[in-house]
Amino acid sequence: MEFGFDNGPHLKDKDHTSKIMSRLLMALTPIIIFAVYKNGLLPYLEGYTNLYGMLKPLIIILLGVLTSITVEIIYFRFILNKKDNLIEEVKRSYALFPGLFVALTLPINTPLWLVVLGSLIATLIGKLLFGGLGHNIFNPALVGCLFVIASYGALIGARGGYLNPMEIDTIAGVTPLTNLSNINYVGTWSNIVKPFGSLRDFLLGFIPGSLGETSKILILLSFIYLAVTKVIKWVVPVCYVSVVFVMTFIIGTMNNIDIFYPLFHILSGGLLFGAVFMATDPITSPTTRIGQIIFGLGLGLLTVIFRFLSPYPEGVLTSILTMNMLVVIIDKIGAKAKFKKGYLNISLIVLLICIITFSIYIGYNLKSNTNKVDDRFNIIEIREENNKVIYEVTQKGFKGLIKANITIANDKIIDVDITSQSETYWMEMENQNYINRLINKQDDLENVDVVSGATISSNALKAMVENVLADYEVRK
Amino acid sequence: MAKGIKVLSNKSMSLNDQLVECKRPEIVYIPLVNHSKMDCECLVKVGDKVLKGTVIGRRNDNIDLPIHASVSGKVIGIEEKLYCNGEGVKCVAIENDFREKSVDLRGAKKNIASYSKDDFITILKECAVTGMGGGDFPTYIKYKSELNTIIVNAAECEPYITADYMMVKLHADEILEAVDAIMEINGIDKGIIAIKESNIEMRDEFIHYLGTYPKITITMVRNVYPIGWEKLLIKEILGIEYEKLPSDKGIVVNNVSTIYAIYKALKYRRPISKRIVTVTGERLQEPKNILIRLGTSMKNVIEEFGGYIGSSKIRFIAGGPMMGTCLDTDDLVVTKNLNCVLVIDDKDEADLPCIRCGRCIAVCPANICPVLIKDKVNDFESLKYLHPEKCIECGLCSYICPSKIRIRESVREAKKEIRRH
Repeated sequence: MEFGFDNGPHLKDKDHTSKIMSRLLMALTPIIIFAVYKNGLLPYLEGYTNLYGMLKPLIIILLGVLTSITVEIIYFRFILNKKDNLIEEVKRSYALFPGLFVALTLPINTPLWLVVLGSLIATLIGKLLFGGLGHNIFNPALVGCLFVIASYGALIGARGGYLNPMEIDTIAGVTPLTNLSNINYVGTWSNIVKPFGSLRDFLLGFIPGSLGETSKILILLSFIYLAVTKVIKWVVPVCYVSVVFVMTFIIGTMNNIDIFYPLFHILSGGLLFGAVFMATDPITSPTTRIGQIIFGLGLGLLTVIFRFLSPYPEGVLTSILTMNMLVVIIDKIGAKAKFKKGYLNISLIVLLICIITFSIYIGYNLKSNTNKVDDRFNIIEIREENNKVIYEVTQKGFKGLIKANITIANDKIIDVDITSQSETYWMEMENQNYINRLINKQDDLENVDVVSGATISSNALKAMVENVLADYEVRK
Repeated sequence: MAKGIKVLSNKSMSLNDQLVECKRPEIVYIPLVNHSKMDCECLVKVGDKVLKGTVIGRRNDNIDLPIHASVSGKVIGIEEKLYCNGEGVKCVAIENDFREKSVDLRGAKKNIASYSKDDFITILKECAVTGMGGGDFPTYIKYKSELNTIIVNAAECEPYITADYMMVKLHADEILEAVDAIMEINGIDKGIIAIKESNIEMRDEFIHYLGTYPKITITMVRNVYPIGWEKLLIKEILGIEYEKLPSDKGIVVNNVSTIYAIYKALKYRRPISKRIVTVTGERLQEPKNILIRLGTSMKNVIEEFGGYIGSSKIRFIAGGPMMGTCLDTDDLVVTKNLNCVLVIDDKDEADLPCIRCGRCIAVCPANICPVLIKDKVNDFESLKYLHPEKCIECGLCSYICPSKIRIRESVREAKKEIRRH
């Protein structure tokens, strides 16, 4: 009888890495199907696009995956010189994921060559050059995505950005988070959520966003499935989302915004998709439970900071990549905390202090920002006469105050009557019919060109109209 | 602290058969080994006549413990044989004369509870009672301190093994009598028998006799591995955590088979000469529990009971599937701490790259981070805070790994690295 040898143990759990990866793919399938439906099929059925437009999301996803696999095959064959079992090697490296995730994090209007480039960068630089599966520090897909968005964001924006053919015609023209950043992060239901429908649309996913991130309900279902089947480290997304909720709740409350505000933050942008699929990438997240808690809390903190304090409206991508860098240190804390509870307590206290301080700081900052606008603007009186609201207001102009009576009927400004002003270049504005242009384009004031030679005066008038509208919204 | 996980049990394979006794060996090999000491002193020379119970060797470093002959006969040599940890060790070879003559240690009392504590400790030492669950640690040392609780470990958490169950099936009353005596002698007021909640049959065996001993209770513990590990068992039953030894908190944990050895020692003042070994696995003709004379070569036992089946490679494991040692021959000597011999298919499962899922950390009952230790195997500075020396080698990290990486081996390496410094 021949005797074999193995160090044991001689029983092994039935679960296998390949099964884990298939479950991950299974969880992504509904999200992929929805992405194809929402960005391709639906606009096609509604007559907004042609056959190519219908197939475009599918093409982007397939292209991402194919690029990724091709890059790995070439890399394994020619750089690592593996000839036998080439297909087996690539299979064992789960080559399709970087490309798939890159595709899902990109906007629908990304040019196809850019999808290929992003997927290439993700697979090659994000994964293979670090040593392949299990050795990369950064989430490969996010490396590719960051490259595309940072280098070619403007190009994609010019082609329509995150808006699918249908949304270009129907919705505010930006993603909810860009819209929020445009209105300086504070506002009401009607200018934060309403332009995109209701929170139900946010949940179901019929809002602008990258291919994979919009359907929050599917992401949540995937999360439950992945957590129950032990594919992902569920602690990370739970901590992550909780921190974002708490921080935006504090910020919202400080600025008298209802409870919808934190929900809006959670349901907007890539937060849920990033939290469930990117932050939990096993290779680039901490292995210790305590590390996972710290990682999740840190992600939440960074995301809120990036969303409010950086010029980019979306903070998920950058915060995950930042936290990826810290995983080694976090795991060290996690390992030490197993024997010395002090490490856990100190890091939690530090994080909690940061979370609260930054919430209050951001909340206070936004408050004073809104007050600054009010500095130059003053409401003298508001009258209501036969379904009309008349605002008697002043706004500081180029020289002294501009006084005006602004009449609103059916939620629209119908008349701007200047009662007194001492502007130097008033004639220029009257000549160009500036006031009428403001009234006509009051929904899109940003795109009203100022009168050359009277920039300050025209901006003052524009601000006056804007302030009246904002005040009217709040009072309503 | 992780609380163990459910693993496949595979116990039914060897469970329902009656205990059989293997035929008496021609030659026995008694290893000059105890616990971690692999080279105890030999006290006999070739040609010496010995009786059952003659002291043929002695451990005399910081621990003092005799080593006994298990048959009567003649010493025919000192040979190297395979011990259950996989090492070749020096053994005293004794030719059996089949007379079964014993050394008589006089002074056994009828009432086994009437010994003083000092006598009790002396008897345990002279009869060389050691941990029969696998540790082989001298039992008398555990009783040297003040004690308040005794836990009888009948959890038998390793898959496949049913030796303790068989022991209870045959000797439940003796075991209870011994526990009661131990409690009386040591002034212990709390006696607990720990049984896995899945093992109702074993509980019933005890309940049959339990009425006589009001101070002893049965506690059902979760059916998880490694619940039989002292530290986890104490945490589970009493909610107490300790640093170094359970005796720090006045607790002593003994395996049921060890308790039976104590019974024999107290009742007859004789060391045990046989033990029950679960000989099982899908590659054996007849998996069963066998009563084997200490020092018997496992090769003969397996031949006697039908040998192996199939022709492909086998894995011959001394011990259970989780903590047992794989051997490259079946010429293994049976010792007091060998509770199982497992023979299974040798199927090789290739390992995949680590995806850092962290499951090994989540399941580790010793609360260390196997994957992080694996990363830093040769980095002493990092190992200092990763504490690989706390590893109990239960094997759960390798068991749970979805990439089938043998992480326990890396932790063992790290342990060695720590010891080197």
